[in-house]
Amino acid sequence: MATTVVKSALQAIRERGLRTFLRELKDDGFTFVVPLSSFLLKCFFDGNLLFPVSALEPSSEIILGILSSLLFISSFDGNLIGWSRQTKIHNIGATVVGVDKFGNKYYEKLGDTQAGRHRWVEYAKKDRYDASQVPPEWHGWLHFITDHTGDEASLALTKFALQNLRLSTCLKDLHILVLQLLMLKPKRYGVEHKENLSGKGNEFIYHSKGHALNPGQRDWTRYQSWQPTKAE
Amino acid sequence: MGLGLLTSRTLKSSRILHSQYSRFRPIVTKPKLQSPDASSAAAAAPQPETTPSPPKKPVGGARIHFTNPDDVIEVFVDGFPVKIPKGMTVLQACEIAGVDIPRFCYHSRLSIAGNCRMCLVEVEKSPKPVASCAMPALPGMKIKTDTPLAKKAREGVMEFLLMNHPLDCPICDQGGECDLQDQSMAFGSDRGRFTEMKRSVVDKNLGPLVKTVMTRCIQCTRCVRFATEVAGVQDLGMLGRGSGEEIGTYVEKLMTSELSGNVIDICPVGALTSKPFAFKARNWELKGTETIDVTDAVGSNIRIDSRGPEVMRILPRLNEDINEEWISDKTRFCYDGLKRQRLNDPMIRGADGRFKAVSWRDALAVVAEVALHVKPEEIVGIAGQLSDAESMMALKDLLNRMGSNNVWCEGTGTNPSADLRYRYLMNSSIAGLEKADVFLLVGTQPRYEAAMINARIRKTVRASNAKVGYIGPPADFNYDYQHLGVGPKTLLEIAEGRHSFCSAILNAKNPAIIVGSGLFEREDKDAIFYAAETIAKNGNVIRPDWNGFNVLLLSAAQAAALDLGLVPESSSSIESAKFLYIMGADDVNLDKVPADAFVVYQGHHGDRSVYRANVILPSAAYSEKEGTYENTEGRTQQTLPAVPTVGDARDDWKIIRALSEVSRICLPYDTLLSLRSRMRTVAPNLLHVDEIEPATFGPSLSIDCTQEINLTPFKAAVENFYMTNSVTRASKIMAQCSAMLLKE
Repeated sequence: MATTVVKSALQAIRERGLRTFLRELKDDGFTFVVPLSSFLLKCFFDGNLLFPVSALEPSSEIILGILSSLLFISSFDGNLIGWSRQTKIHNIGATVVGVDKFGNKYYEKLGDTQAGRHRWVEYAKKDRYDASQVPPEWHGWLHFITDHTGDEASLALTKFALQNLRLSTCLKDLHILVLQLLMLKPKRYGVEHKENLSGKGNEFIYHSKGHALNPGQRDWTRYQSWQPTKAE
Repeated sequence: MGLGLLTSRTLKSSRILHSQYSRFRPIVTKPKLQSPDASSAAAAAPQPETTPSPPKKPVGGARIHFTNPDDVIEVFVDGFPVKIPKGMTVLQACEIAGVDIPRFCYHSRLSIAGNCRMCLVEVEKSPKPVASCAMPALPGMKIKTDTPLAKKAREGVMEFLLMNHPLDCPICDQGGECDLQDQSMAFGSDRGRFTEMKRSVVDKNLGPLVKTVMTRCIQCTRCVRFATEVAGVQDLGMLGRGSGEEIGTYVEKLMTSELSGNVIDICPVGALTSKPFAFKARNWELKGTETIDVTDAVGSNIRIDSRGPEVMRILPRLNEDINEEWISDKTRFCYDGLKRQRLNDPMIRGADGRFKAVSWRDALAVVAEVALHVKPEEIVGIAGQLSDAESMMALKDLLNRMGSNNVWCEGTGTNPSADLRYRYLMNSSIAGLEKADVFLLVGTQPRYEAAMINARIRKTVRASNAKVGYIGPPADFNYDYQHLGVGPKTLLEIAEGRHSFCSAILNAKNPAIIVGSGLFEREDKDAIFYAAETIAKNGNVIRPDWNGFNVLLLSAAQAAALDLGLVPESSSSIESAKFLYIMGADDVNLDKVPADAFVVYQGHHGDRSVYRANVILPSAAYSEKEGTYENTEGRTQQTLPAVPTVGDARDDWKIIRALSEVSRICLPYDTLLSLRSRMRTVAPNLLHVDEIEPATFGPSLSIDCTQEINLTPFKAAVENFYMTNSVTRASKIMAQCSAMLLKE
């Protein structure tokens, strides 16, 4: 498996040239080339290594080492090394279909990929990610409900709002209908998508107004108390 | 009041007439109203002489008192005979017969204007409908209030009134308690024919208390009559004629009266509403609690309207013996002081001089610890002017058990005497003042000390041209008075019969002397009271049928405090105090308290004395507790809690009871009832609620006074009418009033 990954990476370099490949990686958020040792260290702390280093064959380790010394990449925020992520390895050869407003990247890889595994998301948050971070306009694409990407949905939404398209014209296509349903989200009072923060601590969980844990709760005190600081 | 009833009654009766519409009320102009003759015949036909319903009860429980049996006349209201005294109006006769006539301009306590025309009724043999409020009832008059003619007349009047009335009920503060709303529902048409533009009127600025929306005014002139007749200020008047007619101050001027808030109650529409209450709440959201007022010694009956934990407004309650149906502005608008500067946690002053909130357990432990280690004669207790009788009883019991008897109520003077009750009560009673024909005010300004009593005096002066003599600093009363002098010199002259006013007292049938309790603070108060009693003796002021010797107290607690015997053992005890227990006394001078004295302040407001305190114990204000108060005429009344206490505050007597427990001198009462039964042993009159307990002995018992009278002039007891106690001093509205109204 390791070899296939390296192969695909090398193939990508061969096809597009090293410069293009690096630029693509840079677009993906990997900007810095750092020494190999720190890479391995960070991979270790990351805990998200693709291959346990000890399990690697010397040859492949060397190959990986050479490759890494050439292409060594770290994510911009520097907390973790994205290259070592499983998703990152898969990303090689995949096309970025779009990026949503939270920075999540949506990849697609057609061809030799197993059906149902050809679309995936790389979360913007590298440390704390879960499926609820996918906004509704991308949800349909990611789960193979529609072939329209989230960008198209947002675009259509804008267009819909601007041109005030009639429903009948859009009914031609079922996908358009889905988009329509998405569009029906009233812009005026629809709230922004928010990820589910259950289990992340009381301060993250939604509490209704007036709940004791709601930080913005109303002050029900109907009197002003005397302030002893004014004492003479 | 009766209008809701009236509305339902009207709706019910119309339902009976239109049996075919028994389920739906038609939304059409009633055709029978268009032609009265035809419809009356039609109405008579289906119901031929059914058994007349039994006579109704008088409206509002009105009672008539026949002074002279010859003056009784009989009139017929809707066919029923009613006996009324001569001189009553048709409207009053109808009220006795139990028929409530719709009205706007008529008010039983004001003169008759007769300009709204809402009270039109049909009188047999009269060519036109008559305005019942202004028409005297004549013997044998046949009054018909429910005929098509009368109904049509009301509907027409209502249509005219609504012509220029804005349709802003949804944003009007009177909405829900508006006479015009109620009566247009009951008597108005379902549509108007007016298509022109409605007129508009510029709003007037009447000061910080009364909000005006003069476009809503229907020119009933109740406010004008109230201002001139009851309040005694000539500020309001009617300007212009026809559609240009408007109520206003003649020149740009604020309404400077202590009773100005009553025009809010009296206004039948939303033209005059309460400014502090504007847009705060709707009247149907409020919970009313019938209680009494403690801002002065009158004990006006009030209703506290609250929403949740908040007092939203204060309204008067009818009590003919005390406040009739008015209250003073201080009573009405001091309520925002109940929400500011409140003490809500027990606090202890630390070594750095700063207060720190602590638990009740800690605070009481500290107080008990100190109290147990001072000598009994160094323990002093002072009750405040808002204290209820129960807590004063508990305080006195606590201090007595600690071995001290130095407990008194502020404002009763350095050396009060509680031996003779007539010396601190208004013996002729407040309502009794109306019988007086000569008043002698000694060192008192009732206008500022007790505005409701001043209104009584003014009522008497207006009704019977009673003469008023006044001794004291120059003052501005709202009735004619004779300024006799500024000090005890004049008093002595009258007592010795050398003054011209003596003849007025001698010739009077019911002379009344009112001595201000501000004089309690004077060193020579015994001599002054002796002089006043001499006048009373010489002028035959105290007789079996009339006791005209009155003392006007300043605060709600004083009468009960003196009844309970809160009299200090030595007048200079405060100077040697080591442990001072202040129960809400903020007007007491604490400069003489030794620096090492331990001061406990128990009260509800951080006002004045709290800055000298070592420990603060938060207690409940009068709107939050059940307590007994005795007013200046010796009438016992009780407050009821309208809102919950704030923060950690507790009832006054409960705090003292808890402190006694911690001090291991357990007071023997655990409930308010057992505390009251303890009170019964000291002053049984404090349990006879709503009753006056007259003073038993008169000046015949008092001994000759040898004290030398001091000739320094009397001082005004109340400098600022709007700020006399801790609640009013915390109030923003009262601060605005004193800034805007007193500068003139």
